[in-house]
Amino acid sequence: MRLELGHILINDVQFGDVSKVENGVLYVNKEEMKALLLQDDHIADIQIELAKPGESTRITPVKDVIEPRVKVSGDGGIFPGVKNKVKTVGSGRTHVLKGAAVVTAGKIVGFQEGIIDMSGIGAEYTPFSKLNNVVVVIEPQEGLTQYEYEAAARNAGLTAGIYLGELARNLTPDEIEVYETKPIFEQANEYPELPKVGYVYMLQTQGLLHDTYVYGVDAKKIVPTILYPTEIMDGAILSGNCVSACDKNTTYHHLNNPIIKNLYAQHGKEINFMGVIITNENVFLADKERSSDWTAKLTEYLGLDGAIVSQEGFGNPDTDLIMNCKKIEGKGVKTVIVTDEYAGQDGSSQSLADADKAADAVITGGNANEVITLPPMDRIIGMLDYTDTIAGGFNGSLKADGTIVAEIQIITGATNELGFNKLTARTY
Amino acid sequence: MVKGIEESGIPVVHICTVVPISLTVGANRIVPAIAIPHPLGDPNLSKAEEYKVRKRIVDKALHALTVEVTEQTVFEN
Repeated sequence: MRLELGHILINDVQFGDVSKVENGVLYVNKEEMKALLLQDDHIADIQIELAKPGESTRITPVKDVIEPRVKVSGDGGIFPGVKNKVKTVGSGRTHVLKGAAVVTAGKIVGFQEGIIDMSGIGAEYTPFSKLNNVVVVIEPQEGLTQYEYEAAARNAGLTAGIYLGELARNLTPDEIEVYETKPIFEQANEYPELPKVGYVYMLQTQGLLHDTYVYGVDAKKIVPTILYPTEIMDGAILSGNCVSACDKNTTYHHLNNPIIKNLYAQHGKEINFMGVIITNENVFLADKERSSDWTAKLTEYLGLDGAIVSQEGFGNPDTDLIMNCKKIEGKGVKTVIVTDEYAGQDGSSQSLADADKAADAVITGGNANEVITLPPMDRIIGMLDYTDTIAGGFNGSLKADGTIVAEIQIITGATNELGFNKLTARTY
Repeated sequence: MVKGIEESGIPVVHICTVVPISLTVGANRIVPAIAIPHPLGDPNLSKAEEYKVRKRIVDKALHALTVEVTEQTVFEN
């Protein structure tokens, strides 16, 4: 399967009479976009705001971040099984508004959604401070259940992403990246001298605000399976998931998974990148056992020499991670695991809830309990009502002047476990 | 907490869903629970059926307290 990603580079976003992209500027017709999103009768009102790098702007509570994309050739459409018909994607050409994003925000669904600061120290901790963001602030209808509100908010973000992505359909990309993975035997034979490496992609699947969707299927109901990496670049995997925002994969992370990109970068040089095994992180022990058995089985079945295993979230998924690691190593397949840490505010506590000797190659996205002081911002998109109660916040986190003292787990993407951010720790 | 209480000489049964974590942290008597969001119940069942599940787990845990163990033991049945 071969996918061309055509990047249209966006360096500014503005409101305009007509939604379009011109000379690297994304123009958004606010009223048209708002009317489109208000077609969902679960939503009472929508505000659309722009947030650019360097502004004194704070966005919260953040639910998801979506990169605008459109399929211009090849089967299916972006976000298959959810926003387009369920058709296998990952081939042909896809255009991307690179440098722009949709951010969804609004009254919290649960109690643990994120913060994006566009400037100051907080901006250093989230990759989304570097993007030209179109923020969709959602006001749900009264009387909706949490589940209905979550689904409506998730859908609004994807709708907005498709609306903006469509503007890229007929543009000439500034740059084109090409990614290709072949059917298994053909792929194995292409670089027979190189070690065969796969990627075990763990998806958060613990319930409301902890869910992930694969071609529209709630991933807690899947058994581990194999995907071509390019399917993921076309939106085969979508986030429904922002609880403890620091280490949850937004839809943007899935579309731009750096582990996949880096495996491709070494493909044919140091390794033969064979494909992606997706698995889940469920709340029943039997599910954890079954899924980790199956990931190990699939690494063996693919004839892998090595596997990268990335976790999403923390706590009991640490066990899914360690089970995957132990069982895959048990098949004679070397592993590197990618995680983050909850080592306490002073960093001296045990970092993961589970451990095993097989986990002897570990990459960390940093300690989510580190405390940070976020200075007040001139402009708030969304609301600060919940700052004391979202994960990473505590009683008194929000000061009278708008300063926030909290753990970095409050910041969207701060300790991302795909290596999407800059934090890590090394031992020498 | 399990280890802290045991250090004072009182036997402890750890009822928990993720048995591997309980093993990693060193609990000696472990009784598997239902699921992480509802360790001692199951909202998918009727009240009457759920009561049976709850009673079974508690009975098993009380039984485990009375059993001498020489190594970390998971009481599956």
